[in-house]
Amino acid sequence: MERVLEDFVTAARTAGVRISISETLDAVRSVKVVGYRDRALLKDALAVSLAKTAGEKIILEDCFERFFAFRLFAADPGRAGKDGDIPSLVQTESSLVRMLMEEDRAGLIAAMTEAARLENISQIRYFTQRSLFAMRLLGRMGAGGLDGQIQALRRLDTPAAAAEADRLEGARAYLVDNVRNYVQSQYDLFARNEGEKRLENELRLVKLSNLEQRYVGRIHNIIQRMVKRLNDLHSRRRQAARRGVLDFKRTLRENISYQGMLFTPCWKKRKIERPQIVVICDISRSVLRTVRFLLLFLYGLNQEIAKIRTFVFCTNLVEVSDILGSSSVDEALTRIQGGTDIPLIMGRTDYERSFGEFRRDHIAAVTRKTTVLILGDARNNYNDPHPENLKAIYERCKRLIWLNPEAPAFWGSGDSEIRQYTPYYTMIKECNTLGHIERLISALVRR
Amino acid sequence: MKSSYEERFVSIEAVLENLRDVAYIANRQMAMTVYLACRLEKPILVEGPAGVGKTELAKATAACLQLPLIRLQCYEGLDESKALYEWKYGKQLLYTQLLKDKMDDIISRGNGFKTAMDKLHQYDDIFFSWPFLEPRPLLKALQEKDGCVLLIDEIDKSDDEFEAFLLEILSDFQVSVPEIGTVQAVTRPLVFLTSNNTRELSEALKRRCLHLYIPFPDAALEREIIRRRVPDISEQLARQVVDFIQDVRKLDLKKVPSISETIDWARVLMILHAEILNPALVRDTLNIFIKFEDDVGVVAEKVHQITAMAVK
Repeated sequence: MERVLEDFVTAARTAGVRISISETLDAVRSVKVVGYRDRALLKDALAVSLAKTAGEKIILEDCFERFFAFRLFAADPGRAGKDGDIPSLVQTESSLVRMLMEEDRAGLIAAMTEAARLENISQIRYFTQRSLFAMRLLGRMGAGGLDGQIQALRRLDTPAAAAEADRLEGARAYLVDNVRNYVQSQYDLFARNEGEKRLENELRLVKLSNLEQRYVGRIHNIIQRMVKRLNDLHSRRRQAARRGVLDFKRTLRENISYQGMLFTPCWKKRKIERPQIVVICDISRSVLRTVRFLLLFLYGLNQEIAKIRTFVFCTNLVEVSDILGSSSVDEALTRIQGGTDIPLIMGRTDYERSFGEFRRDHIAAVTRKTTVLILGDARNNYNDPHPENLKAIYERCKRLIWLNPEAPAFWGSGDSEIRQYTPYYTMIKECNTLGHIERLISALVRR
Repeated sequence: MKSSYEERFVSIEAVLENLRDVAYIANRQMAMTVYLACRLEKPILVEGPAGVGKTELAKATAACLQLPLIRLQCYEGLDESKALYEWKYGKQLLYTQLLKDKMDDIISRGNGFKTAMDKLHQYDDIFFSWPFLEPRPLLKALQEKDGCVLLIDEIDKSDDEFEAFLLEILSDFQVSVPEIGTVQAVTRPLVFLTSNNTRELSEALKRRCLHLYIPFPDAALEREIIRRRVPDISEQLARQVVDFIQDVRKLDLKKVPSISETIDWARVLMILHAEILNPALVRDTLNIFIKFEDDVGVVAEKVHQITAMAVK
């Protein structure tokens, strides 16, 4: 019976529940305690030991229902019942034929699941494998012998034998049909999510500007997972950074109350430096998609990991940290674009004016601890780029990273002024897929 | 020897029955989790919205097992010295002062620094022994001879480090006190951890526990709970109260009322000698089960409608 549980765990994993080996062992032990008799109880026992969040419980329940569905070999209304009086003409040793003729449902199910086990149906991955597995299953069950039986009956050439042959043919169709259904359901269980996984991997590589609208929701999920991973990784590092060496002066001070006996040692605390990030984003239409995903990423990060201030510009420049802090990124971007309550002009992109305004009004935001991220294609509509504004920012900050959503081949072509700005950034990166953004952010928060 | 959990909780039905006797109405899933936890000797991680009876479950289990309940309330900054053990510094100091003469005696008897040191080494463990140890909840739970119910409440409020520290206790039921050695549980305690999901718990912790999610109860279960907890309430009023609360939970609120609030409200209605619900009465007592000003506004708007539905 453990084999069944094993398969169930595989199915649940494919459906997206994270299950470790120790949890599988727990499940085996729980099932031993509660037994297989009560279906609801079995389901609860598995849910308690395998699924560890409310969301996972729902997935697991659905998976359970599909895995332990026994709709197979339902009585077929089209098939005539067996007439008990007429002795069967089929002289056979084949248990399959006997089970089919006697409509032994339980026997058929057992034979089929056994065949499936021998053929390792949990290894099914692609929908093109379905027919193959169905054939193999039928072979294992001994369906090959059926044809011989039918032909033998036809050769007898009596009305009774013909009727018997018809019945057997019907039974064969019925068998094939059920095996197909079974393979389909197994494919759903074990492989349905494989496609999703592959799609997700593709989505990480696809250019954000080419992303189809229907995948945006999925991308959100991916980002959430990536951000969670980054948060986990870096909050742990933050904790480790806390431990220091013995602070002797403080130890003496603290222990004065014990007559100078050193009972409670105190440790030096290292100051935790959060990376300070200033983001300056071009939000003209050509860059907007990338901006959205970059901001989703940045604002998903734990507040303790990074301090972020955000400025957006098109024709002029506005600080939007407040809006982003108080509402979700999607909402905030709609508000910013709508521009009802912020003085943003969505005309032609003007790098000269925007950087000038930043230098005039917000240069205090940049200190030598700050990392400045500029996201834009540097397409200045053939105006003078005035790189000295960028130079002023560059000289004040720790590093200035330029993120360009265009492919490197286009940098400097047409009205792109990126070459003019070249001396004034620490590095430039192409930034137009999720993969790029993730790599960038993990580099940012690393110390 | 069979542990007392197994004697009392022979089957899932027995768990249900026993919990019912101490006025805790559980559903089958909860009973089964408790039963499994006793059998597998695993901790239970209980999650769910506030006020659905996560802590109560532990209390009720302790009550029907007739075991002591040891409770550890978690908060930010909770550390080993608060949770596990602490040396009684005061006592240590006092004893060293009292024994000062004695020690002088011991040391001065020898000649030379080295012999004095050696002599001192023979005695230094005296001050780090059981009489000077102040056991905190976790150590206490391990020391209970007949077992106990250990409730680690609101584990999500504690720091990550504390969570990691719990892992040793939860998987092996032992802790190490450097000066004394490893302390093994005499009888494994039945452990409940509760969490309100203010932060995601680590995978490692979750893996060691059975995970029980307690949702809001359905109407039938909630009626039964009300009848148990507020025995004087009339059948009619109990039904109306529950129907009303069930409808309120469907509204878009900051904090939906939970079972404990339903019970409070039912008690208040009993004190006010209410027979049936009416909109005026509901509006007056709204603040019993709605805890935010914004929410009061949302519910007050619909009081008429919901009351009509519930009274019907």
